[in-house]
This record gives sequence, structure tokens and C-alpha cells, in this order.
Amino acid sequence: MEKIRIVIVDDSPFSITLLRDILEENGYEVVGDAGSLEEVKEVIRDKKPTLVTMDMTLPGTDGLECTRAIHEIDPNIKVIVVSSMMDEEIVKEAKENRVSEYIQKPVDPDELITAINRIMASEELYHLLETESFPVFKESLLDGVNRMTKTLLNYKEEYSTNTEHESKGLTVIIGIIGKFSGRMLIDLSKETAGNIAAALLRRTPKNNDEMVAAIAEFTNIISGNACSILNRKDKAYGLRVSPPSILYGDSVHISAPNFKTTTAIAETNFGEILINVGFTRGEEKWM
Amino acid sequence: MDVKHVNPFIEAFATVIPQLGFKTVKKGNLSMKNSELLSSGVVIVVGIVGAIKGNVVYSVAMEDAKKIASSMMMGMPVNEFDEMAQSALAELANMLTANAATCFSGLGISIDISTPTLLYGENISLKMSSNQVLCVQLLADDIPIEINIAFEN
Repeated sequence: MEKIRIVIVDDSPFSITLLRDILEENGYEVVGDAGSLEEVKEVIRDKKPTLVTMDMTLPGTDGLECTRAIHEIDPNIKVIVVSSMMDEEIVKEAKENRVSEYIQKPVDPDELITAINRIMASEELYHLLETESFPVFKESLLDGVNRMTKTLLNYKEEYSTNTEHESKGLTVIIGIIGKFSGRMLIDLSKETAGNIAAALLRRTPKNNDEMVAAIAEFTNIISGNACSILNRKDKAYGLRVSPPSILYGDSVHISAPNFKTTTAIAETNFGEILINVGFTRGEEKWM
Repeated sequence: MDVKHVNPFIEAFATVIPQLGFKTVKKGNLSMKNSELLSSGVVIVVGIVGAIKGNVVYSVAMEDAKKIASSMMMGMPVNEFDEMAQSALAELANMLTANAATCFSGLGISIDISTPTLLYGENISLKMSSNQVLCVQLLADDIPIEINIAFEN
């Protein structure tokens, strides 16, 4: 694995030496240090570390301001606070400023290394989910259509964008909750929805309610199956799905979330189905 | 569906809203609806799992959504419901639901929440999984925000 690059932010040369020794003895690469806000910005831009250890009390600034400055440069950089100060209020504030872990000085080397490992394991798991989740959801839709309607489908497009899109008619939203939370969304025209519902019920739906209920359950099964497969791949995902919400209306636009989602368009015998899935990295629960 | 389950959402509203540049928080009507809701404007869906399973749907009229986004962005004028404004409203739903989850855990009910999904349009019909939906209208400086809570039993 690539060496993890770390920057130490502290105003005490003694603390910097101590932290550097602990980190280097454990195989990490300390690529720089800083003691003021300006130095922090400079070293982050220059060295692009994976992780930063952050003191809370710094001359002319504080650990939280520096953390925000770091995340303005790169929101993916992980910050561990290493400070002599630690109380409920300050820990809460640190969490609100997207600090990943909080450790009190004097530093226990084991505690620090465990914290770093925990953060990096979570990063790795997220990347794994990012790469392996979408194929699983696509497969689950294909499998669901095949098993429930005895037909096949073809994926004709796949893309990741962060722009909003207009609904074709009916949108089903499933919230996903676990180690990382996210959502699955299915969008299709009312005509396609009617066709699928008819195939699922093996007759024409009696009314709109029956059609909507069939599509809701169809979507629920697909999301549930996909999450089960992912959980079997790694139980640390711990994914669970919330019940489906179905929306339809006039010129409904679905806004792009602030995390990456992937979309695929499936061509089925019933019409096109859009599937969109994404997970947010979120922050570690450490309180 | 337990009416008491609405309290954490009211509490969350009273905690979060004053932090976003609003001066007054008021409670409007509380009602039970069937699972089909109608609304125009902005709709934000948040999923919930844990000791309780269901969805919470926030609904705000378009002009009101712009006012809220403007207040959240320190009074910056919001003329279009653009990406920035959408992101502000999604974040509001996230903050309110996360805060309500904390209130629930105080009651010994542990829940987790999904990321919010935001949609907007006209004459939106919304079908939720539970047969009964608890709807509470809350006002931030007289701007009504409707919170629809559908929990499965």
C-alpha cells in the first residue's frame, strides 16, 4: 500500500518532534509541519497530505480555523486533533468542523496509531463501496426485472453528473443507511411504470394506487437485494434501506446531491428505467 | 403511528432554525393525513431506519424555499432556486432530521438517517409507505415548513 503522508500542525517544536518520531516509527511519512494558519495553508497546498494532526491552541488562530482552511483546499484530507484540551464542548465543535478523531495530549502512541488506522480503513472501505456498489445495483435491477417479469434488459448509458435532471414521470426514492449513507432512485415514465406494474401483477392495474404500490415494492426489492449483496461482500457496510417514497407531478426536477452519484439507463420491454445510486463518505462516528 | 413521535421534530426545529438567521419559531397545525400528499414547490425526502423505520418529507413553497436559502446564506439574495439554494435546503433537511435523531436517542429510540433527496415541481403527489402520515406545520419567521412523518409500525 502507498505510504500515508502526514502533516503535523503544532506550535511546540517538542510536540512536533514527539509526534514525528511516533509516526515515522510506525511507517508513516511525515511530509511537513506548520505552526500558524499561513504555514498550514502553504504546507497543505505544497505537500497534499492524506492526513493532518492538529493542535487546538495555536498563535493567532486555532485548530478549528486551520481545519476549515485545510478542507477549503481539499475536503478529503483527514484531520485528527491532538490537543491537551479536551471537553465535551470542544469535541462537539471539532466534530462540527469535520474533524475525524480527537486525541488528548500527552499522546499515547497506540491510541494515535489506532485512530489513524481506523480513519484509513474507513477511507478504503468507502473507495471499495464507490467502485463495487453501482455494478451490484445494476445487476440487481437486471435480476429483479428478469425474475419478476421473465424479461431481460440492456443498459445503454452510464454516467456520473452533478446536474439536476427532469423526472420522466414517476420517481421512487429509497434512502440507504449504514456505515455510509446514500440513496437509490428509480425514475421512469408513467407509461413504463404502468407496463411494469401490469407485468408484475399479470393484469392491468385497477387504479393508480395499485400501479404505484407495485412499483414501490419492485424498487424496494431491487434496493434490498443490492444492499444484501454488498453486506455479504463486507459486513462492515451494514447497509439497510428505508421504505420507498414515490413522487410524481408536473415538471418535477430531481436535484443533484452534493456527493457523487452514478446513473444508468436500462432499456426494457416496458420502456426505459433510470437508476441512480450514490453514497456519501460522511464522517466517522467517534463520539 | 405514535403522535409523540412528532415532538423530536418540533424540538429539532426550535433548536436548528434560530441558528440559521431566523428570529421566531412557531408551531402551526398538526394533522393526520392519508399516505397520499399533494404539494407544489420543494420536497425533500429523508429515509429513517433503526428502532423506527420510515420517511420524513419536508415540503416548502418555492418562494419560501428561496427566502429560507437566502437567510441560510447570510441574507444573500436568492432569485433563482439554483444549485446553491437547493444545496442549502437539502442541508436544512439533513440538519433538522439529524437533530431530531439526537432527540429520539434521548428518548431511548435509536435511529439513523439517509442522505436527503431534493425534488421540486408543480402538483407533486407523494405516496408514502405508511397508511397514516403525521403532518406538522412549523413556521420560521412566518415562513411555513411542512414536516410529514411516515413511520411503519
